[in-house]
Amino acid sequence: MAKRYLILEDGSAYAGEGFGAGATTSGEVIFNLNLLGYQETITDQIYHNQIIIFAQPAIGNVGINHDSYESILPTAKGMVVRDLTNISTNRLSRLSLDEFLRQHNIPGISGIDTRHLIRKLRQAGPMKGSIVDVADAHAFDQLNATVLTNRQVDQVATPKPYPNPDAGKNVVVIDFGLKHGILRQLSERRCNVTVLPWTATAQDVLNLDPDGVLLSTGPGSPLDLGTDVLDMIRQVQAEIPLFAIGLGHELFALANGAELVALPVEYHGSSHPIRRIITNDVLYATQGQGYAVVAKSIDRDRLITTYVDLIDGTVQGLRHRDFPAFSVQFFADGAPGPHESRDLFDEFMEAMTAREG
Amino acid sequence: MQNWDQIQKVLIIGSGPTEIGHETELDSATVQILTEFKKRGVRTLVIDNNPFSVALEEIQPTNMYVQAVTTANVRHIIEKDRPDAILPILGGLRGLRIAQELQENGDLGRYEVGVLGMPTTTLQQINNPAALNDTLKEIHEPVIEAQVVQTDDEALGLVETIGFPLIVKPVAPRVDTNRTICENVDEMLTALNQGFQQSRFDQCTLERSVVGYKEIEMVAIRDRADTELIISGLEDVDPIGIHSGDSIVITPPQTLTDREYQDLRDATFRIATELNVVGVLHVHFALNPANQHFYVTKVAPYFTRGVTLAARTVGYPVTMVAGQLLLGQRLVDVKLPAQYVKQTAIMEPTNDHISVRIPLWPFQEVPDADQHLNTAMKAVGSTVGIGRSVEEAMLKSVRSSQFSPRDVLPSVSNLTDSEMVSQLIHPLANRILVLIEALRRGYSPAELSELTKIDPFYFVKLRHLLTIERQITDHPMDVDMLKTARYYGFGDGMIARMWQTDTTAIRHLSRGAKVAPTYKMIEPTAGEFPEQTSGYYSTFEYENESQALGERTALVLGRGGNQLGPNSAAEYFTTEMLKQLKRAGYHTILMNTNPNAVGVAPEFSDKQYVDPIQLGDILNVIHVEHPDIVIVPGNRHYLTRELKKLDLNLHVLPPDQETKDHLPEMATIGVSLFVHEQQKIAVGVMDLIAPGMTQKMAQITAFRMPADLTKAQRLNLVEWAKQAVSERQVRGMVQVLFAPSPDSKQMVCVGTRPTRLTEMAFLSKVTGVNWVRMLTRQHIETLDANELATIEIDVNSTRVALMNAVFPFRHLHVLNRPGTTDQEVGATIAFGSSEALKLNNLSDTAELDRIINRTI
Repeated sequence: MAKRYLILEDGSAYAGEGFGAGATTSGEVIFNLNLLGYQETITDQIYHNQIIIFAQPAIGNVGINHDSYESILPTAKGMVVRDLTNISTNRLSRLSLDEFLRQHNIPGISGIDTRHLIRKLRQAGPMKGSIVDVADAHAFDQLNATVLTNRQVDQVATPKPYPNPDAGKNVVVIDFGLKHGILRQLSERRCNVTVLPWTATAQDVLNLDPDGVLLSTGPGSPLDLGTDVLDMIRQVQAEIPLFAIGLGHELFALANGAELVALPVEYHGSSHPIRRIITNDVLYATQGQGYAVVAKSIDRDRLITTYVDLIDGTVQGLRHRDFPAFSVQFFADGAPGPHESRDLFDEFMEAMTAREG
Repeated sequence: MQNWDQIQKVLIIGSGPTEIGHETELDSATVQILTEFKKRGVRTLVIDNNPFSVALEEIQPTNMYVQAVTTANVRHIIEKDRPDAILPILGGLRGLRIAQELQENGDLGRYEVGVLGMPTTTLQQINNPAALNDTLKEIHEPVIEAQVVQTDDEALGLVETIGFPLIVKPVAPRVDTNRTICENVDEMLTALNQGFQQSRFDQCTLERSVVGYKEIEMVAIRDRADTELIISGLEDVDPIGIHSGDSIVITPPQTLTDREYQDLRDATFRIATELNVVGVLHVHFALNPANQHFYVTKVAPYFTRGVTLAARTVGYPVTMVAGQLLLGQRLVDVKLPAQYVKQTAIMEPTNDHISVRIPLWPFQEVPDADQHLNTAMKAVGSTVGIGRSVEEAMLKSVRSSQFSPRDVLPSVSNLTDSEMVSQLIHPLANRILVLIEALRRGYSPAELSELTKIDPFYFVKLRHLLTIERQITDHPMDVDMLKTARYYGFGDGMIARMWQTDTTAIRHLSRGAKVAPTYKMIEPTAGEFPEQTSGYYSTFEYENESQALGERTALVLGRGGNQLGPNSAAEYFTTEMLKQLKRAGYHTILMNTNPNAVGVAPEFSDKQYVDPIQLGDILNVIHVEHPDIVIVPGNRHYLTRELKKLDLNLHVLPPDQETKDHLPEMATIGVSLFVHEQQKIAVGVMDLIAPGMTQKMAQITAFRMPADLTKAQRLNLVEWAKQAVSERQVRGMVQVLFAPSPDSKQMVCVGTRPTRLTEMAFLSKVTGVNWVRMLTRQHIETLDANELATIEIDVNSTRVALMNAVFPFRHLHVLNRPGTTDQEVGATIAFGSSEALKLNNLSDTAELDRIINRTI
C-alpha cells in the first residue's frame, strides 16, 4: 500500500499507509471512541465531510455486512486508523472495508498513532485536515485555503419524499441526514413511514395526516438551517406527537426558545452515563454531537430537561410541557452502541396511541 | 433485603490454596476488598489456609482465621465472632456453596448474618444449574437444555427440535463415561444403544452441542439500585469445547459485529438484574457464528480469572469499585482516586489497546498428564500481552508464555503432516505454535478455520505475521525492517535469530537508529481524558507517555505467569518486597505479565509495565526509568547473568543459588537462621517431611515447626547450625540441613542452602515476623542491627504449625503420588497443638491431608 499522510491545519503531518480510495480529501477531523461498529459509523451521515479517527485500534475485522449500513452512500471524508484488517465476511459479494471505501471514493490511512491524535484534539479543539500523497507546503496551502461547507444537510438529506410502508401507525420522518437505525426501529414497531425532505412545511406534514412526526439525526450545525424549519416544528408539535433525535433535538430546542453552544470538542462515543431524570436511573447510548443545548437558556415554562450527561453535564433530552413532544441528543436507535435507550421509540408509540384514545 | 447501614463486621470466605482453576487473582482481589472495607470502617475477618496469602498479611491477627475453608469452620467463626454478613464471592464456587449450606441449615438466619453480593435465592440457583436454567428461561435467555429419553423413538422425536450435532449422555452411569457428540441419526442411535446399557435407569439425555461455537464472556458490575455497566467483553479465540481457562483470550472482542456484542451486553444486564447481583458478574456465552444466535453457558456472580483479566487490561479499578458496591454504595456515588480525571466510577470503560492472554500448562512437570485441551481446565497460569494491533498483542503474549528471557519461540517444524493435522483437530498445549506452523506449510485461513473452528480472522493475522517475518529475514540489519519488526511485536531474540546475529547487535542497531518504544497508558477512556493511571505497555509509535518516575526508584522484575513450583510463594515474596521498598521510601516499578499477580495492584507498586520479562524489554524500561536499584525475585540464572554484565545496581533475592553448597541427597530437619553481619537469629527448627518416605530433597513438600524433638535437641541443633554458618560466607535467610547418620542415628549437619521461597512464607506466617521485609531491608541497607537483636523467637514454641504442598494431580487426572517441589501448585497451612498435628505415618499423604484440612 502506498505511503500517504494525514496533515492538520496546525502544521503537523503523520505518515501512514493509504487504503480505500486514493483520493485527496479535506474535512473536519474528529474522533470516535466507540469500541465497535466502524461500518455503522462510517456510513452515518452525521460524519458528512468529516475525517474520522477511530480510537479502537483494529478496524476492518468483520468486513462489511448487509445489516450494518446506516446509509447506503457514505460521505465521510476519510478514516484514520491504527491497524487495518482486510477481511470480508459479506455473504454474497466479497466486500472488505478497503474495497467498500474504494467504491465510495473515501480514503483511509492506517499505521497512525491514533491515541496521540485523540489526546491532541481533546486539547486543541476542532481542526481541519487532509489525507494527501505528499505533505508539502502546497498541501498545507490547499488545506488552509479550504473552506468547509455549512450546507451539510442539503448535501446528504433526501430531496424527495419516499415511503417505507407498513401496516401500523403513520409516521412522518423529517430527514436531516437520517440514519437507518431510526427506520429500523420504526419498522420493528410496524410503522407506516413517509420520509420527507427537511424543507417540508408544516402543511406538507399535516397533509399526510400522520400519527406522529420524527425529526431525524443529521450533520452540521442546526444554526445554519434557517428559521423556516423552526416554524414548521412549532406548528407540528402543537398538533401531532413529535420525537426528535440528534440534530432534530437541537432544532426542537431552538424552536422552543433554547440556545445552543458549540462544544470545545465534538464528542462521539458511548461511555458517558446518561441520567434519566424522572426515574433517576442511568443508561448508555451512542452520542455524536458538536453542539449542546445551553441548560440556562431553557424556558422552563415550555421545556423540561429529561436526560443529562453525567460526565460533561450536557442536556441530553427535553420534553415539551404542553404538547406530546420530546427529544434526545443521543442516538436512541442504538446502531451502533448500547440498546437500552430504544424504549424511547416505545414512548413515541405510546404518545401516538394516547392521541388516538 | 439487606440492611446496608448495619454492616460493621464482615467475614470473607477465603479462596484456600492455589489450584488449577484459580491462582493468586482471588488473593489479589481480597487484598483490595479489605482496603475498601477498611476505608468504610468495616471490621473484616478472613478465613483462609493459604500460607502464601498476601491478604492474611494485611489484617490484624485477631481478625484472621488460618483454618481450612469448610462450612463447619465458617459456622464456628460465625458463632464466635457474630459478623453482620459473610462475603462468599472471593472464595470461588466453594465460597458460594458454603454460604448456601449455611443458609439451608439455618445458621445465617439463626445468627442474623447477611450475604453480600447476591440474595440467597441467587446463591441457590448458582449452586443448582437446573434451577438457574429455569430462571434464565423465564427471562427468555436461551440456555442449553438436556432432555431425558428412554427409547430410540423418543430420541428421534426430539432430533428435529434439538438439531445436530447433539450430545448423548447416559443418566447415572455405572461406569465413568464421556459425553458422545453425534453428527447424524446413525451416530446417535449407536450412542443411545451404549448409553442405555450404561445407565442405571436405562435413560440418556440429549442436548444440543455447541462445540465449535464462539465463546464470548462479558464482565459487568452492578449496584443495588440496578445501575449496571460492562467492564469488558472477552473473546475466547478457541471455540467451545476447549475450557475458557485453556483458551487464548482476546479483549476487546475482535470478531463480533456491534450488534452481536450489544445483544450479549443486553443479556448480561438482564441476567444481573434478574439475579439481583451486587458487585461483579461474569457471564459466558456460546455464539453460533453462522446465525448470531447465542446461548448462556455459565453465570458467575463472583470474582473470577475473567474479572481480573478485564480489570487489569481495561485499567478500570473493578475490585475497588465492587468493594464499595458490596457495602451498598451506588455506582453514581463511588468516587475514584484522583488518577481518574472525572473521578467517577460510572463511565463505561473503553480502550484503545488490545490484550491477549495465553494460558500456561504444567505438562513439563507432569508429563504423564493427558495434554489434550478439552472441557476440563489444565492450565495453572497465564500471561498477557498488550499492544496496539492484534499482531503485536498476540506476539507479545506468545513471547511471554515461553519463559525464556532469550526471547525465541520453540520450533515445531519437526511435526509430520499427519501429526499436525491430528493436533489441529485435537489440540495440545502448544497449539498456537502448531497453528503458526500450519500456516507456514501453506494451509489457508479457511482450511484452518474449518479444522479448528477458530475464526479465520486470527489466521489472517497470524499469516500476516509470517509475511512480516519473511520480509525481516530477507533484509538483515535493515533499519526500516527493524522498525517494522518492533511495530508488530517481535522481540530482540527473534530478530537476532532471523538475522543470524546476537541481541547485542540488534540493540546496537536500535540505539543508532533511535528505534525506541513509546509507552502508552492503560486507562479506561481511550484518550478522552488525561488520566494518570499507573499501568503502561510498550508499542512503537509516535508519542511516548511514560516519564521516569523520579528519585529513588526500584524496578522489580516479576515472575511472569504462574507455573508449577514455588510460584505462588514467589508472588507473595514479590508483593511483600514491594511493600517494604515503598516503606523504605522507594518509588516502586513492577514489570509483570501475569494478570493474576497480587503485586500489580496499584496498592503495591507505583507504576506497572505489562511487558514481556525479557532482556530487551527490561532494558527498554530501564532506559526510561533509570532505576536506582533493580531487583530480581527468585532465581533466574540466564536473566541474572545477562543483567550482571550491565552497569546496574542489581539485587537477586533470595541470593542466587548458583553459589550454593553441594546439596545433600536427603535431610530430615532444617534449622533456619537469619544472618546479618555478626548476628545469627534462630528462626526455627522444622521437620522436613517427604510424604514418600524417601526424604529426598526434591520430595520434601511438607514442613512442621517446631520439629518433633525435645527442647534440648532443638537448642542443640540451633547451636550447631550457627557454628556451621560461621564457617561459610552467607547472609540473609539460610537453612542448615540435618539428617541422621546411617550408622549412629545421630543427627549430622549435611549442608546449608538459602531458604526457599515457600519456607520463607511459612516462617513468616509461623513466627509473626515478616522475613521477606527483613531480607529486603538487608539488601537496601536499612536493616537496623539493634532492632534485629530485639527479635525474640522461641524455637520451642508449643504452638505447632504444619504446611503441606498442594499438587495438581487430581485435576490433571493422573495417579495421585508423592509430588516433588517443582510440581507444587500451592500449599495449605494449619496451626494447632503438637498432639493435633501429630503425624503417625509420614508416608501417608491421606493422613497428612486430613490433619491439615481438619475442622477446628
